[in-house]
Amino acid sequence: MSNPNNPRSSSHQHTLKVGTFTCAWCGLTVSTFAADGTRRNHCPSCLHSQHVTDHVEGGTSECRARMTPIAIAVLRTGDWMVIHRCVRCDELTSNPVCTDDNQLILMRIAVRPLAQAPFPLEAFGTL
Amino acid sequence: MPRRKLPRERNRLRRPQRHKDVLHTQGGHRGNAFRCVGCRLEVSPDAPGTAHRNHCPTCLTSLHVDHRVPGDRASGCRGRMEALSLSVRQDGEWMIIHHCLSCGELSANRIAGDDNALALVRLAVRPLRDTTMASRTLLTL
Ligand SMILES: [Zn+2]
Ligand SMILES: [Zn+2]
Ligand SMILES: [Zn+2]
Ligand SMILES: [Zn+2]
Repeated sequence: MSNPNNPRSSSHQHTLKVGTFTCAWCGLTVSTFAADGTRRNHCPSCLHSQHVTDHVEGGTSECRARMTPIAIAVLRTGDWMVIHRCVRCDELTSNPVCTDDNQLILMRIAVRPLAQAPFPLEAFGTL
Repeated sequence: MPRRKLPRERNRLRRPQRHKDVLHTQGGHRGNAFRCVGCRLEVSPDAPGTAHRNHCPTCLTSLHVDHRVPGDRASGCRGRMEALSLSVRQDGEWMIIHHCLSCGELSANRIAGDDNALALVRLAVRPLRDTTMASRTLLTL
């Protein structure tokens, strides 16, 4: 969400000017809207994002640092959300998965806790 | 308890906790047991392996009291924070992503040595339980 009272939000070149943004991690040029019309907040290829919204205070964030995808959350509907963490200020955000997001990377994030469990999982026969 | 035995190689990679600006002395919450807003259990403030207990070891529920800095107790929200997801830090440490049911705020917190292992594993398998996303992924390969 951009703050209309903030003059800086109009100079937000990457997302507003031409309907594309450049991924801060892999450099891919990404269209701001996915094919189904949903607004993208992360790169569909590497799933990295950029810290442009302040979720604690609201409005635009001056941080602008890269945000790494760190976790998958599941909504009651069964849909997946990507949790991002800002590499500079540690702010966390959650955003819906787009249909053309890289499924292998999504799955890698989803299984990572089980692949690096702090205790043997053999003890848990049924869940 | 099998969950306290870490694989040897992970033990070696384990780094000491990074320095964080955790505020322990403000508000006098150190030394006070609290009642969990999730399961009503009386929780002792001492959490093995962590500098400050921030969630219930039984149901993993937390309370929204911190603002920007862990331990600052600067948030007026006091909403109930549910364990939403698990993340793995660079050093392999599991982090619980908590989600405030009142204001929507997210926070990441280290697991404690006495956290309920079954509750943690249930959280870890949650994205894989519902086969919709998993099978969609396999179909696109
Ligand atoms: Zn990218
Ligand atoms: Zn940031
Ligand atoms: Zn509890
Ligand atoms: Zn809150």
